[in-house]
Parts: sequence; structure tokens; C-alpha cells
Amino acid sequence: MNRLLVWFGELTTPARLYRRGLWFLLPAAIWILGLLVIPGLSLVALSFAERGPYGEVVWNFSLENYRRLLGYGLFGWSPDTILILLRSLWVAFVTTLICIVLAYPLAFFIASRPPRTRYLWLALVIIPFWTNLVIRTYAWQMLLAPDFPFARLAQALGLLAPDSGLYPSPLAVYIGMITAFLPFVVLPLFSSVERLDWSLVEAAQDLYASRIRTFFQAIWPQTLPGLTVGIILTFIPAMGMFVIPDLLGGAKYLLVGNLIQQQFYASRDWPYGAAVSLGLMVLTLIGLAIYRRRGKDVDLV
Amino acid sequence: MRLNPLISSVALATLAFLYLPMLAVAVLSFNKTRYGLQWSGFTWDWYVRLFNNPEILEAARNTFVLALVSTLIATVLGTLFAIALERYPWPRRVQGFLENLLYLPVVTPDIIFAVALVVAFGAFRAVSSLFEPGLFTMILGHVTFQIAFVALTVRSRLKSLGRELDEAARDLYASYGYYVRRVLLPLLTPGIVAGAMLAFTLSLDDFVISFFTAGPTSQTLPLLIYASVRRGVTPEIHALSTLIFLVTVLLVLASERLTRR
Amino acid sequence: MKRLFALCLLALSFALAQPREMRLFIWSEYMDPAIIKAFEQKFNLRVRIDLYESNEDMLAKLQAGGVSQYDVIVPGDYIIPTLIQLKLIQPLNHSKIPNLKNLDPKFANPPFDPGNRYSVAYQWGMSGIMYRKDRVPTPTSWSVILGPGADKPFVLMDSIREMLGAALRYQGKSINTRNPAEVRAAGQVLLNAKKNPRFLGFEGGVGAKNRLVAGTATYAVVYNGDALKAADENKNVGFVVPKEGAALFLDNMAIPARAPNPEAAHQFINFILDAKIGAQLSNYNRYATPNKAALPFINPEDRKNPAIYPDAATMQKLEFVLDLGRDTRIYDEVWTAVKSR
Repeated sequence: MNRLLVWFGELTTPARLYRRGLWFLLPAAIWILGLLVIPGLSLVALSFAERGPYGEVVWNFSLENYRRLLGYGLFGWSPDTILILLRSLWVAFVTTLICIVLAYPLAFFIASRPPRTRYLWLALVIIPFWTNLVIRTYAWQMLLAPDFPFARLAQALGLLAPDSGLYPSPLAVYIGMITAFLPFVVLPLFSSVERLDWSLVEAAQDLYASRIRTFFQAIWPQTLPGLTVGIILTFIPAMGMFVIPDLLGGAKYLLVGNLIQQQFYASRDWPYGAAVSLGLMVLTLIGLAIYRRRGKDVDLV
Repeated sequence: MRLNPLISSVALATLAFLYLPMLAVAVLSFNKTRYGLQWSGFTWDWYVRLFNNPEILEAARNTFVLALVSTLIATVLGTLFAIALERYPWPRRVQGFLENLLYLPVVTPDIIFAVALVVAFGAFRAVSSLFEPGLFTMILGHVTFQIAFVALTVRSRLKSLGRELDEAARDLYASYGYYVRRVLLPLLTPGIVAGAMLAFTLSLDDFVISFFTAGPTSQTLPLLIYASVRRGVTPEIHALSTLIFLVTVLLVLASERLTRR
Repeated sequence: MKRLFALCLLALSFALAQPREMRLFIWSEYMDPAIIKAFEQKFNLRVRIDLYESNEDMLAKLQAGGVSQYDVIVPGDYIIPTLIQLKLIQPLNHSKIPNLKNLDPKFANPPFDPGNRYSVAYQWGMSGIMYRKDRVPTPTSWSVILGPGADKPFVLMDSIREMLGAALRYQGKSINTRNPAEVRAAGQVLLNAKKNPRFLGFEGGVGAKNRLVAGTATYAVVYNGDALKAADENKNVGFVVPKEGAALFLDNMAIPARAPNPEAAHQFINFILDAKIGAQLSNYNRYATPNKAALPFINPEDRKNPAIYPDAATMQKLEFVLDLGRDTRIYDEVWTAVKSR
């Protein structure tokens, strides 16, 4: 510990460095430990407790909550909870996919603008992303209401019963999700597209590659870093999303976020809510692990 | 670069799709009827009422105070954390642990974080009445997820700096304090500002964590809007949303100016 | 930076500085602003109001720390035993509420809180069906919503006992049944209604009313007072108690266990129990008053309105929601299953 070393031009010892480093490290580390790690652990502990008859927490060790998570409930076994978890995964997946499909044209479009106006276009994408999510979501509630042209059109085409609206419905949830997360994909993707090495694309074209082949072999691999960030920034929050399904899906398209909220509010079953939360966390970590396996160390910001 | 017109039109349509909801809200905020969506005449009335509604004004103040205070704390803590991670030779294990600690708030879904806070604050409350739901608990929650974003932003700036300037400063006998104040922090400023702005907007945008940790005296605008939506939206909320949107536009343009310089 | 920080501290201290205030946690659209103003002036303090849409949400908020944040809450009858069991409300000091004598003996000493130890009646009313007169004839049965042939957009009430109660009545059962099979069957009725493509969602009473007034829904399950208030503004809406019957409710005022200002809370409860104020409240809310001394001051038309003060025949079909002790859990679990499926 007393050996000397030169660290960023400073002659010092590891012990002295560590002592100074702790001052930089500890405030944030303690903060995160105290307000994220410890609460997280108490959530784990809670998931093994029981709900008392009046909605209080009774500290009896039990695996009942996990049994319920697997579908054993009052009505016998039913796949409800599992279905909700899978549905959340599916919604996150579809949302991410559609966002990617829409983000590519937009990213290329912005990158093709002259540098002078490029940032203005970029700002146009950022603005909705900075506008509060609750506002954007309730705005869709109105746009999809029965009196609005969209619903009227659907009614006229016979897709929708007269005087009903396009929400609450799965479609509304998807629309809400896509508007919420699109900027999260566009922004990182744009930073990759901006740095694209076009000589590769030209080479591909010189070699008479088809357009599709050019895209998948010359462009796609180069945009992967941005895309990865975009996918993570979309997929994880989309899975736990609670506002959008609550306002646009109503009781019709319940996602795991709503299930958790319900346990902490109307049902007052904190232990079960904790168990569902841990189920979601496990799904999230699995998703991340799959991504890690793909090799890249992901830079999230 | 030449672009296929099809791609351009898809891109423009996508942009329009992003703006459609806000446009509808803005138009309806001038509509005379209280219920429903039928257009029945132009009025400024809802905006006037907005500024006479003490509840909304208080929520606006709370939102702003919350964002400002939590951003300040998170910026300081996050910057220190980034420096600690990048500029100190931690043993491998410790470094790995710290990295995980840093990514934890980013990968944890808000709702899980929020309910974990509900549970933890419930326990903390037995010790101190400080943890009663209110602005204080909300600040604690917001800072926790903001730290990570500030630290990540500052850290990427630190990585790109290299060590030449640091070494030059030390070679010229700068003390550590002098070096941090006059060399490191000025160099980091763009990263810190960017991180702070990200943290600020994350706080303004947050709904879920506020929803679970707020008390009666700490209503914020997103909570207020959500509650009105559940109850049936009034045109006042359209007006409020339109104003928030306009403020957002101004903020984005201002920050664009700031960061481009 | 320093100046910014100072500004922050200033703003924070501004936000934390609290004038003398009384915090009321109450259902939305359930209090006449004029009464609040009168109370503020009389006792020289500020009233801060926070709103909820269901008993369960209110309870959840209290459990999550609200127990030390509010001075007066307005819980429904059946939730009060739970509040008492969880020690979330404190016994009232009757010597500070002299107007207690104004209470109608029918509502004093209720089964859920013998001797009014913890709560005092606030208003009473019933749930029922609100409908669009311009689109459909007056409904007579829950079947327009809960039946298999329901073909108009409808909203259900986001309240456990009222909604399960409606389904129980629709099946000819008691709202307060302790038979799990009957509750489960009622849950099944709601599940079927949920699967109906015309089902628009669960909403609090006020939210449901607003959806109907805005024209999104044709039928909604709401409380009578909300519907009647809306009917004053909009001639196209009406309210009816279905022939199978429905749930009666009695809302009460209570003081959370660790209320910051119990003194003002008692003053407020006593103020509401005043004869004239009680009448003003009912005339505004269009709910029935449990205050006997207030009855002479109630609008005569309201007094005669069977949708507010039901006649003996209607009263036969209505049931108060009772607390079922440990059996409440059956309702909670069936409800969770209904909502999450």
C-alpha cells in the first residue's frame, strides 16, 4: 500500500489515492445504496410476507405470492398473471420494433438535411420527448374519442360500432407507446447515422448490391451501436409502463405496470405487488443479459 | 446525400404523428364547451381561469422546485461519482460493483423503483418523521435516478478528455484542489451542463415516482393532470398542457443555443 | 451557481413554510366551495383539499403515509371498520362536536361504528345507472350493462363493493353476502361485462359521470348526487335505480390517527353538522343529508325527489354496504381477479 505510483502526473501512494477517491465516491454510492438497493431488498423481503385481512402486511414467511404469480388464485389455476407478464413483453417488443422501423427513415432524413437546419429538425424530435408523457397520452385519448374524425372514419368504414371510440383498446396502447418511445430510438440512431461511413455504401453499390442488401450489409451494421442504445432505452421502460396502458388501455389491456399499481392501491396487497415487481425485474434482467451476451458493452447515454 | 422521396415522406409523416396530439390539445384549449369535443366557438377563458387557479399555480411551483433542487443535488453527486469512477484506480471487483451500482437506476423500471420507495419510506418513517410523503421524499426519489444519468453523461466527457492535460497540470505543480477547480471542472462543464439538463427534464417528466411518493402538499403538474384525466378532462387542462408544451419548446430551443456554443 | 443555490433554498423554504391549515381529503366534487370559504373565514385558517375517487384509493393513501398528512377524511361506511382495525383513525372528542345532537337518530350510532366513536355521518346516497336520454329509453334493469345483450357503450364504477354489489343484486343476491360462491358468481358477471366490446372501463363515480356527459358513454354506474348535478346542466342525462336494487352508502367524516391539526378537524366536523351548513351542503351536492336539523332548510323539490330521498318502495330494494370483517377478503380477491383478467 505504501508503494509509490504516478497517477495522472501525480506522485502518490494507493492509500492516499483511495482516501481521496472515497470523498468523490461515497456521497453518490451511499445515496444509491440507501435509496435504491436497500428499498429493493426490502421489496424482496416483502414479497415473502402475507397480506392481512384488512390489507396490512403480516410478516409470516410464505411462498403464496409466488404461487399466485404462477397463476394459482381464488378461481383455481388460471394463466392471467402469466398472460399479463407475457403481454407486457409482447407490447414492449412490438413497440420497439415499430419504433425502429419508423426511426430509420427519420434518422436518415435528419442526417440528410444541410448542417445548418439539421439541429432544428433534431429539436423537432426532441420537443415531444421533453413534453410530459401524461399530457401526450391524454391527448391521444381525445384524438381517439368517438367524436373525433379518426373514430368517425373507422365507424363509417364499419370497423367500429357507431358512437364508440378507438380507445380503450390495444391499438390505442400501441399508438401511445410508439409516440412515447420513438424519440428514444431516433436520437441515438441519428448519432450513428451521422457518423456513417458512406464509402462502404458506395462500394456496395459499385458491386451492384441490391438496395436491400446494401442496407443490411453496408448500413445496418454501422448503425448497431446507436440502435442498441435505442432498443434498451425503449424496451425496458416499455415493459414497466403504467401511465399509457392505464389511460389508453383502461381495464381492457392490462400490463404488468398496472397490475403492480393495483396491488399498491385498490387491492392493498403489498406483498403480492412486491412479488409481481420482482417478476418484472427478472424479465428485465433477462432481457439485458441477452443483450450483454451479444457482446457489446452498451453505453446508455 | 440523396434521399429516396419515399423515405422523406415517411419521415415527415412520422414527425406529424408525433405532433398531432399536441396540436389537438392546443386547438381544444380555445374551445368554448366544457364537455365533449364539439367546436362551439373561440375563447381565451380557460387560460384566464388557469392563472386564477391557486391549485394549478401551486403545482407548477412544486414541479419547478422539485426539478431544480433534485437536479442540483444530483449534478453534484453524479459529477463526483463520475470522477471517482474514471480517475481512481479501484481494484477490479470494486470497479465492477460501482459500475453495476451506476447502471442499476437506469435499468430498473420506474414502477419497481417507485414501489420499493413506498415500502422503504414506510419503514424509515418509523425512525423519523422526515420521511412523511411530501416534497422531501420526492426529492430523494428523483435524485436517485438522476444521479446515474448525470454520472453517465459526465463520464463519457471524462473519457474523451484523455490524460494529457491532467498530467501537464500536475507537472506544473498544480495542487489537487487547484487542478480540480481550474482544470478538471472547466473542461467538464459541457458534460455537466448536458447531464444537468437531462436530469432536469427527467424530473419534469417523471410521473410514476411522484405518483407513489407525493403527499397532499406536494402535488406536481403531471400528478394534477393525471388526476383530472381520471375525473374527466376540463378545458383548463388543455390550456395548461398547451402552456407546458410551449415552455418545453422554449427550453429546447434555449438549450440548443447553449450547447451549440 | 451560488446565487442559484440561494434561490433554491429560498424557494424550498417558501414551499415548506406552512400557514395554519386544515387538510381535507375528500371525494372529488363532494364539497361546496362556498362552505370551505365560510369555514376559512370563521376560523381564520386555510383549507387544503386533496381528492380521491374511491374508498380503496383513500385507504391506500393513508396506509402509505397519509395518516399523518390529513386532518379530515370522508370514508364510506364499509371501510370504517378497516380504518379502525388498522389504527388509521382516532376516536372523536364528542365534547368538541356539540352539533352531534343534530344528527338524525337513524344515522347516529351506526352498526359499523357504535356510538359514533370514530366517525360522524356526512351524506348518504345510492348508486344506480346514469343514461343518455337522447339515445336510449329509461333503463329499468342492470341488464342494460351487465346482461349479455348490452349493446351501448358503458362505464363501470371503480369501486369494489358498489360494483360487486350491483352484480349481486342483478343475480338476486344480497350485497352483503358472505357466501364465496355468490361473490365469485358476481365476479363472473363483471368479467363477462368486461369482455363486452362496448365496455369502456372502470371509472370513479365522477369520472364515469363526466364520460357520460361528454357523450363517450351511453350508460354509466354512478352515484345519484353526481348524476343529478349533471342533469341540471345537461337535459340529455338521467338517473335511475334499477329494479333489482342497488347499494346505499353513508359517507362519514373521520380524523386520521396522526392528523397534524385535530383541533381544526373537530371544528370542521362540528361546522358541517350545523343545521344551515348541512342543508347548504346537500343543496349543493344533491345527496341526502343525515342531519335532522338541516331537513327544514333543504330545497323542497329535492326533499320530494325520490332519486335523493327514496320512497319506502325503493328503499326496500336498496341495501347499505356493511363491513364483513374477515370476509372482506373474498371481495378484495374477487375484485383483483376481475380487474386483472
